[in-house]
Amino acid sequence: MKRLISTFALAAGLAVWAAAAVAGPVSNDDILKDATSTGDVLSYGLGPQGQRFSPLAKLTPETVAKLVPAWSFSFGGEKQRGQEAQPLVHDGVMYVTGSYSRLFAVDARTGQKKWQYDHRLPEGIMPCCDVVNRGAAIHGNKVYFTTLDARLVALDKDTGKVVWNKKLADYQAGYSNTAAPLVVEGKVITGNSGGEFGIVGMVEARDAETGELVWQRPMVEGHMGTLNGKESTMTGKLNASWPGDLWKTGGGATWLGGTYDPETRTLFFGTGNPAPWNSHLRPGDNLYTSSTVALNPDTGEIKWHYQTTPHDGWDFDGVNEFVSFDLKKDGQTIKAGAKADRNGFFYVIDRTNGKLLNAAPFVSKITWAKEIDLKTGRPVYIDDNRPADPSGAEKGKPVFAAPAFLGAKNWMPMAYSPQTELFYVPANEWGMDIWNEPITYKKGAAYLGAGFTIKPLYNDYIGALRAMDPKTGKIVWEYKNPAPLWGGVLTTAGNLVFTGTPEGFLKAFDAKTGKEVWKFQTGSGVVGCPITWEMDGEQYVAVASGWGGAVPLWGGDVAKLVKDINQGGSLWVFKLPKA
Amino acid sequence: MRTILALLLVLAVAPAAAQDDPFGSPMWEVLRGEYFGTAPVVFDGRVAVTAPASAENVFAVPVAVDARGLEGVREIVLLADLNPFPLVLRFRPDAAAPFVATRIKVQQATAVRGAALTADGVWHVGGALVDAAGGGCAAPAQAYAEKDWAQHVGEVQARAWAPGPAGTTRVRLRIRHPQDTGLVAGIPAYFIEELALTGDDGRVLGRLQTGEPVAENPVFTLELHPGATRAVRLRGRDNQAGEIDATIPLPWVGREG
Repeated sequence: MKRLISTFALAAGLAVWAAAAVAGPVSNDDILKDATSTGDVLSYGLGPQGQRFSPLAKLTPETVAKLVPAWSFSFGGEKQRGQEAQPLVHDGVMYVTGSYSRLFAVDARTGQKKWQYDHRLPEGIMPCCDVVNRGAAIHGNKVYFTTLDARLVALDKDTGKVVWNKKLADYQAGYSNTAAPLVVEGKVITGNSGGEFGIVGMVEARDAETGELVWQRPMVEGHMGTLNGKESTMTGKLNASWPGDLWKTGGGATWLGGTYDPETRTLFFGTGNPAPWNSHLRPGDNLYTSSTVALNPDTGEIKWHYQTTPHDGWDFDGVNEFVSFDLKKDGQTIKAGAKADRNGFFYVIDRTNGKLLNAAPFVSKITWAKEIDLKTGRPVYIDDNRPADPSGAEKGKPVFAAPAFLGAKNWMPMAYSPQTELFYVPANEWGMDIWNEPITYKKGAAYLGAGFTIKPLYNDYIGALRAMDPKTGKIVWEYKNPAPLWGGVLTTAGNLVFTGTPEGFLKAFDAKTGKEVWKFQTGSGVVGCPITWEMDGEQYVAVASGWGGAVPLWGGDVAKLVKDINQGGSLWVFKLPKA
Repeated sequence: MRTILALLLVLAVAPAAAQDDPFGSPMWEVLRGEYFGTAPVVFDGRVAVTAPASAENVFAVPVAVDARGLEGVREIVLLADLNPFPLVLRFRPDAAAPFVATRIKVQQATAVRGAALTADGVWHVGGALVDAAGGGCAAPAQAYAEKDWAQHVGEVQARAWAPGPAGTTRVRLRIRHPQDTGLVAGIPAYFIEELALTGDDGRVLGRLQTGEPVAENPVFTLELHPGATRAVRLRGRDNQAGEIDATIPLPWVGREG
């Protein structure tokens, strides 16, 4: 009621009152220090590098056994779909996004709601893989999140009032947004979704204050970038790795957003599969799809790229997060980055130049390539296992391929512990029958040109949380889970690894041995990203619960395995009881 | 305890004793404190509120507030006492007559009030009783029967009339907007919050703050003093920062003789 008291007359007075009562703004420096500051979580990835490592050590494999809920918060409504978000915490307030483009601000001590924003979505949005959102960003006095109708919304972090709302792309052409934005030096950086509809992958930077566009970098060769409202440079070279006009609808969606390395001042964005899926229509490498692309944060110019699946024919998106870390090997410290790709290989790359350092499988079965040639950085294809050319026929010859198109690892982010020097990768063991079909582009229609059914490889498990040693490419330990893993991972200096399961548990593991040391049943599948922070001298852990995501929609035989998991939509927060 | 009770009674009774609410509305004292605070309030027939005695359509009840009988009006407030959101709009007639007409949603039979603030800090209140069947604020907008509402949201249709004997330019505008109140399960609040009319010289002619009870596809009628401006620019935003921007030409300006 109070909010509509005359703001003509009282605006100045209210502003003074508001400034006194609320928390301070979030600076660029605060965001850069997020990985080491324990009292807050200010970025997706617990630091712009995305390591998802917390220096907190009150919780250990011994003490975690006593971890109990502090409070739980319901996202409410009937909109209980996949809850894939990672919450943020600033000054005692938690910011978490929910399915159907909703954003909640909650008192981190009590779980009491401060405000809620429900984005009014139009009919006809086209998210391919559930109506999820993966989290917000925070900077200054604003929180930012992207919506299923391809908009970027900035809200006052204290009141929830919308400050601005910018159209990112045309949702009627199949664009949508689900990733958490990234804030770098006063710019909000976003990717885009819609790779199944023949869209063009794009990375964009906007002024964090005004929302005005600063630069755009398309991810498909032949398209022009922009800088400050003018054309800048072309991405790649026209038709160098694409035939004819196919680059115009070439895919390469940057649907998982990106990470940022302050040491090299570089943005890393992964790109999705080339469109359409039928690879025989587009001979060539199809740059820069299925790649990690390094960008200059000031201009959007490409510094380097590394293509994990040149000429993809299996929907092996290259979007998975590129996590910067210091690789300590043979007495040297190399500025490296790692990525567990959809295609089954775990890549370690020199993040200063994009050169491949190592690539090793992190799943048991890979049919499409024999190995990655460490000299050339390219896969050694097994040509017979590429889905065949359907030309003239209604359907090309099917092949059995592993990993399945949902990937050896999908969107769910891995974690890296500089303490154990291990990556913790949420992997899935599955394959698919896949065949190509003829296809032509039509705006707003699915642009696949392929059919597929996904199948488990083993009777007893699909999901596998694996500890990977980036120095050797070897798996150090693994935890097998019956249902596919679909949630993010967190690791802590207390020698713990946390992740959720579709069966409804948030689980903790000993980071060195993989021994399961704690679990809690949240009531619905956990596909969110856990966080930890310290408040009033106590270590807290939080995760969103709510089953959904791509598996029940696209999972074929696997969808049957998970059909009895109930929907949900809540936030769970844990801490140790006071002694 | 007795002291507190007595105090409450005094608080409740004292203003009413000064001047009884002519509509006998149970919400009046609450609304008075909420929207006018401690400012002096008088019931004044010079603020004319025109509304139907019985609403044919609870989703769009035409209401006009005309305070042209008063000098120096700074602001007009339109209230519907028994709506879940009583405040319909606030209007600042910067370079306009103290007159505003629109269509509102009515949740149940209610007093509808216009209050005009004069330069001496006094609120002059007039009103009308509207009888109505219930539910105007708690049903989905008709827009959702149309699949393409999102392509048209924020579009403006407007017309201006050449000045009449009163010397003001009448402008009527209609904005496409679902105006969701947020009371319908599963449909988030989504309504226009601010509108401003300016001349082509940037001079502010009038400003509106609008709330949930303004009807779907809002219509506003205003009487402007546009001066020499040849076009009126309408700018506004809704609660999700959706932008409204339209230009209304005044073709007769500067073309006489």
